[in-house]
Amino acid sequence: MSWRYQSPPHFTSTNNQNTILRSFLIMKTIGFLINPIAGMGGAVGLKGTDGMLAEAISKGARPMAASRAHQTIDLLKDVPLRYITCSGPMGEEVLEEAGITGFLVVYQTPQVTTAADTKEACREFLKSGAELILFCGGDGTARDLYDVVSDTVPLLGIPAGVKMYSAVFAVSPAAAAEILRTGASAPLHLRDAEVMDIDEEAYRKGELKAMLHGYAKSPYLPGFVQGAKQVYEDQDEDLAKAGIGRFIAEVIRGTPDILYIIGPGSTTRAIARELDIEKTLLGFDAVQDARLEGSDLNEEGMLALLANGRPARLVISIIGAQGSVLGRGTQQVSPRVLSRIGTGNIIIVATPHKLAETPYLFIDTGDRELDAAFGEFVTVISGYHIAQRKKVGSGNPE
Amino acid sequence: MNTKIFLSEEDIPRRWYNVMADLPSPLEPPLHPATGKPVVPDDLKAIFPMELIKQEMSPDRFIDIPGEVLDVLRLWRPSPLYRAYRLEKALKTPARIYYKWEGVSPPGSHKPNTAVPQVYYNMKAGIERIATETGAGQWGSALAFATTLFGLQATIYMVRASYTQKPYRKSMMQVWGAECIPSPSTRTNSGRAILEKAPDTPGSLGIAISEAVEDAATHDNTNYSLGSVLNHVCLHQTVIGLEAREQMATVEHYPDTVVGCVGGGSNFAGISFPFAGDKLTGKHPDIDIVAVEPASCPTLTKGIFTYDYGDVAGLTPLLKMYTLGHDFVPPAIHAGGLRYHGGSPILSRLVHDGVIRAVSYHQNEVFTAAQTFARSEGIIVAPETSHAVKAVIDEALKCRQSGEAKTILFNCSGHGNFDMSAYDAFYAKALVDYEYPEQLIRESLARLPKVG
Repeated sequence: MSWRYQSPPHFTSTNNQNTILRSFLIMKTIGFLINPIAGMGGAVGLKGTDGMLAEAISKGARPMAASRAHQTIDLLKDVPLRYITCSGPMGEEVLEEAGITGFLVVYQTPQVTTAADTKEACREFLKSGAELILFCGGDGTARDLYDVVSDTVPLLGIPAGVKMYSAVFAVSPAAAAEILRTGASAPLHLRDAEVMDIDEEAYRKGELKAMLHGYAKSPYLPGFVQGAKQVYEDQDEDLAKAGIGRFIAEVIRGTPDILYIIGPGSTTRAIARELDIEKTLLGFDAVQDARLEGSDLNEEGMLALLANGRPARLVISIIGAQGSVLGRGTQQVSPRVLSRIGTGNIIIVATPHKLAETPYLFIDTGDRELDAAFGEFVTVISGYHIAQRKKVGSGNPE
Repeated sequence: MNTKIFLSEEDIPRRWYNVMADLPSPLEPPLHPATGKPVVPDDLKAIFPMELIKQEMSPDRFIDIPGEVLDVLRLWRPSPLYRAYRLEKALKTPARIYYKWEGVSPPGSHKPNTAVPQVYYNMKAGIERIATETGAGQWGSALAFATTLFGLQATIYMVRASYTQKPYRKSMMQVWGAECIPSPSTRTNSGRAILEKAPDTPGSLGIAISEAVEDAATHDNTNYSLGSVLNHVCLHQTVIGLEAREQMATVEHYPDTVVGCVGGGSNFAGISFPFAGDKLTGKHPDIDIVAVEPASCPTLTKGIFTYDYGDVAGLTPLLKMYTLGHDFVPPAIHAGGLRYHGGSPILSRLVHDGVIRAVSYHQNEVFTAAQTFARSEGIIVAPETSHAVKAVIDEALKCRQSGEAKTILFNCSGHGNFDMSAYDAFYAKALVDYEYPEQLIRESLARLPKVG
C-alpha cells in the first residue's frame, strides 16, 4: 500500500490550502457507505429526502440506493479491493449480495439512519485505513462525508440521490466501477470536485439555494477527449489549471487599469497562485495589477469597488456537475453587480475535463434579460492561450 | 453535361506558375535567425539542393517542370475536375460547384505534387537520403512514395502520438520503403534531450522538425524536405490550379469564387495562385479567393503580419507572415494538417494585400459539412479538406438566398480514409469546438518583450 493514513483536519475553512494528497494514487482499501434513504424523496416527487423520510415512505417510496450501489459492486467482483463498510443496509448487505468476501464491518447501522451515522461511519473508515470513500447517496451524503474527510481522502459517489449538483459523483454506477477498476492497478488521477450544499427546504418551495460547500478530492479517468492526430489532449487537471492560471495572470498583468473580481474554485485559485496573492477558495476576491484589492467580497463589497464606472472584469469557473455558470454558489454576484461589470466582461474558465463532462453550460444570473445577453455560445478559457466554444443550454440543468 | 472533366496526359502543365512575379512589389526576404540579415542561398545549402533554393528565390513567372518529374506526375495527373451536381441538388442552390479531386494520387492527397519534384532535385544533386517530419502522416507517406520512385532512402520522424494512433499511414511508408521513426527518437541530440527529460512525451511537430533538420544537417548525403509553407512548395502545387483553369475553360466557365483550406498554405496555393495571378494582372479583378482555416488556429484571420520563426525552437529563418507566435501550440483538433502557427509568406502577403480573404470555422460544423458532402458526392474527405467543404456549402447557401448562380471552385485536397477515428469522435459528440481568445492573448502579451 502506497498511502499512509493521516488524521483529517476537522475544519471548513474557506481558505483551505491543504494539499495532503498526491495527484496520483493506487487504491486498494475502500470505505464503502450507502445512505439507504437517498433518492427516496425524488421517487415520489419530493425534491429531496432530508427531513421528509416519513412523508416519502407514506407516499410509497422504496429504498433505491442499494440497487444502484449493487450495480457498481457487481462490476467489481473480480477486482482485488479491500472493503471497509457498515453493517446491514449501509453497505454489508450489498457486498454480501454481490458475493464479496473478506470485508470489514466497522460501524453498526442503527434502525433509523441520519447524517450523524454517515459522519460517524466515515470516521471509522478513516481509522481503519480507508484510502478512498465510495458512497451511494446524494448531495447531502457528499456534504456529510466532506465534513469529515475535507480534502484528505478522495470521495467517489455512485449517483442515487435526488439532487446531484456536487461534482464528486461518477456519471453512472458503471462509470464508478470503471474508475475503481483502473485505480486498483494503476495510479489514478485526482481532481478538485465541488461539494454543493443545497437548502432542501427552500428547494421544495421552488427556490434553488445552492451554496458551494467545499472542494473534495475525487478520482477521474483522464480519457483523451479526442484521438488526436498529432498530440494528445492533455487532460491532467493540475497542468490544465496551471495553464489557465498562467494565461489569465498574464492578462491581469497586461491590463493594469482593469479591476478583476475572481470567483471561487481551485481553477480560479491557480490564477491567484500565479499572481502570488492569497485567494479564498470559496469566496470572491478582487485584484488589480496583481494587487489584492478585496477578499471574500459580498454584493455590497463588490458594488463599492465598482463605483464610479471603474472598468472591471469577472473571472468565474463552472460550479458543480451540471455546468452552471453563475447562480450556483455565486449568490454574491447579483444582477446589479453583473450589470455594472457588463456581460461582455465576464471571463469563464474551466479545465478540459470539466468541459468534457458538461455538454451545455447553464447561466442563471437571476435576471432573464441578463441571461439572454450571453447569447447562444460562450467562450471558455480551457488552457494557455486556448479556449472552447460551449453551447448555452436553456432552462434549468436538472 | 459530364460529371467529370478530364484533361489528357498531354495537357499536364509543363511549367509551374510563380505568383511572386505578379506581386506589385517583391516579397520581404527571409531573415537569418542569428544575424537578422536577409538569407542568402549559401545559408540554405546544408539542407536543400541548389535548384530548390533557386526556386525559393526566383522572380521568374514560369519555371519548367523537368520531364522525369512529369513522368511520375502522370501516374495520377491530370487529376479530375468534378461538377458537384449532387451536392448542388442537396443544397438546392443555383450555384455551380466544381471541385478538383487530389485524393486520386497514390498517397491520397495533394502532397506528392511537391514531394516528387523535391526528391527529384535532391537526386540530381547527388543526395542519397531525405529526412523529414510528419504529423498526421500525409506528408510522410507522400515523401516515402516519391523517394521510392527515384531510388532514394527516406527517414521520416513521425510524431509519436500519431505513430501509435495512426498505424496505417506508417504502414504505407513501410510499403514504399521508408524508415518511419517515432519522434522523439534516440537518433538525434534533440530527440535524446527530450526523452531524457520526458520519456513518456507524445512528441510534437516542432520536435520532429528539429530531429529531421538535425539529421540532414549532420549527414553529408542527407537533405531535409518540407511539405508546406515555403515558396518552392507552393510553386510545385500550382499544377492543381493550372489544370483546373484549363478544365473549366473546356466547359466555358471561370470561377467567381475559389476556396481551399489552409494549414501552411500549400494546397491552397496550388488551387488559388494561378487565379490570384489573374486577379493581380487585372484579367479577372473581381474573383473572390477564400482561404479557410480552423477557428482553433486562426493564423490568417487573427494572427499578426510580422517576422516570426517557422519552428517552435526558433532555429529556422525568420519569415514575414501571419503568425500566432512560434510558441503557440494549437489545440489537438483532428485536422492535424492545419495545426500550424504561421503560414506561407506569399499567401500571407496576398491576404494582407486583400487579394485573398480568410475565414475560419469550428470543428463540429466542418464535420457536419463533410457528412453532407459524403452523403451527396460520396467522397469521405480528410478533416483538413472538410474546412473547404464547409466554406463552399456556406457560399452555395448564400446563392440560394440571393438567387445568384455563382461558379464556385474548391480544392478537394485529400481523402479521409485513415481518419475514421475523427469521424467516430464526431458521431460520439466528443469533438471540442476550440477557439482562439484573441483579445485576451494580445493583452497577455502586452508586457512581454518583443521578439523578432
